[in-house]
Amino acid sequence: MNIIEVDHLKRIFKANIGIIRRKTKEVIAVDDISFEINPGELFGLLGPNGAGKTTTVKMLTTLLIPTSGTARIFDKDIVKDADDIRSQIGFIFGGERGLYWRLSGIDNLRYFATLYHVEPEVSKKRIPYLLELVGLSDRGKEKVEGYSRGMKQRLHIARTLLHDPEVLFLDEPTIGLDPVGARETRQVIRDLQEEKKTILLTTHYMFEADALCNRIAVINHGKIIALDTPEALKGHVQDLSVIEVEVYGVPPDTVERLKSFPFVDLVSVEDRDQKQALRVHSARGSEIIPDLLSALDGIRVGRVSVHEPTLEDAYVRLVGAAT
Amino acid sequence: MNKILNNSRLFFHGALLSYIALFHWLRPMTYLATKVVSPLFQILFFTLLGMYATGRENAHFYIIGNAIQVAALSGIYGVTFSISGDRWEGTLAYLFGTPANRLVLFVGRAFMHVIDGMFGIVIGLTWGALLLRLDLSKTDPVALALTIFITTLSTSGMGLLLGCMSLLTRNVMFINNTVYFLLLVFAGVNIPVSSLPLWMQPLSYALPMTRGIAAARAIIAGESLKSVAPLLNSELLLGGVYIFAGYLFFRWFEYQAKRRGTLEVM
Repeated sequence: MNIIEVDHLKRIFKANIGIIRRKTKEVIAVDDISFEINPGELFGLLGPNGAGKTTTVKMLTTLLIPTSGTARIFDKDIVKDADDIRSQIGFIFGGERGLYWRLSGIDNLRYFATLYHVEPEVSKKRIPYLLELVGLSDRGKEKVEGYSRGMKQRLHIARTLLHDPEVLFLDEPTIGLDPVGARETRQVIRDLQEEKKTILLTTHYMFEADALCNRIAVINHGKIIALDTPEALKGHVQDLSVIEVEVYGVPPDTVERLKSFPFVDLVSVEDRDQKQALRVHSARGSEIIPDLLSALDGIRVGRVSVHEPTLEDAYVRLVGAAT
Repeated sequence: MNKILNNSRLFFHGALLSYIALFHWLRPMTYLATKVVSPLFQILFFTLLGMYATGRENAHFYIIGNAIQVAALSGIYGVTFSISGDRWEGTLAYLFGTPANRLVLFVGRAFMHVIDGMFGIVIGLTWGALLLRLDLSKTDPVALALTIFITTLSTSGMGLLLGCMSLLTRNVMFINNTVYFLLLVFAGVNIPVSSLPLWMQPLSYALPMTRGIAAARAIIAGESLKSVAPLLNSELLLGGVYIFAGYLFFRWFEYQAKRRGTLEVM
């Protein structure tokens, strides 16, 4: 049996514009999505900003009522049985907020243990265990206001595990963390996976989804445009090679010109400090490099490399095709 | 049984931790200035003004009225912030995501402020006795303690309602200041309710504190608890109405926030 079943879920937000002549604008944040998550699975929801990831998580965590469609967790409806579901799930949203900064880490956990009706005898043992799990044992008595962003994020994870929920919703848990903090958080998620927790993870870090998830749904403009294992998703771009060219200040019209070449499948540009990584997808591999370099004539070019497509390349192709 | 235990733990433990969480900025000096020094000047100002205007023999009227009104600092400002503070801390979504009983959670937020408000009234009356010779010799201490408790409770009830309203607006301080001064004018703190224009008097009786202040004056003048019981019963009932209205508003806000997706909107 599936633990989470999402069936044609849709969420429309309404916003009023204007003061005298008020108009109502409708934004479809989640557009008729359906998926299931198996027990013990780590399911990724991958998509660009504003794709509908957080809205989906909010609906599944009973914090937002869907406009239409249904979702069931442990065969309970997220709207009608919200109270029952809340005691069996845990969730975190990315970012630093959501903790009482003037309380210590331990007192934050004590307070939420009370809210989740965790027996005092249980929480006495569980709080030190969770602090150990997230690597905060030696800082638990300090006020949260003195914690780094990564420590706050790990305290969030400890908070969400207080009542030992079977299902976890982790919404961009590594957002804004430095590489060390992000790595530590990913390790905690791996540990949870080993404990057979069912996890829905949202992220827009491809390598994170690739490294952690059993299956990934790619969501864009509120719709699921692909749903498969990371390996199968990479299969979408298996016929292509990716030529990465380091450039310093590539103008948009050059990028557009490259896109018009018949041998080019897709072009993306990623900012990296003062330079950019120009990634060109092509079935012809390294043989297009001379044509590429001549198209970049007059632009300072750095290292050029050819590599196998990654999940990010598959994602760029999927999202690019759906845009 | 387990449910009762869980809820009583949520009420007391939750009340204490949420109070520390949201009011830890109150350092000892800030607390003393807010709860001890500021009330002293309010009592002195209105009592001296009242004595100048109506005579020395009426000093007790102003001392008691202002000492009781001090409870509005905790009951209105404190309780309102104990509800709206979660929005600023970003913890509201996490609270609404727990299975905690909303009524217990909601009323628990006021608990520490009731104690704090009672403490404030005791300080106010102490200032009156020490500096302005308020005569407490005929006072039944138990009756006075009960009056102080009921008055602080009903004021905190209004604070809970205002706290819920503060979830919808950024102008929390504007609302609080308005209500604080509304109490100062209409609750019989410095002007007897019977001296107010007739059309204003219904407002006085719709506010908490009005009956509590009247009861406190009667008890300090030597009357028994039995004689002020009708006043205290009405004050308690009014407080209950405010608490219930606040709770309904809280649930309505939670539902609307989930329906409209406005939980984190500030």
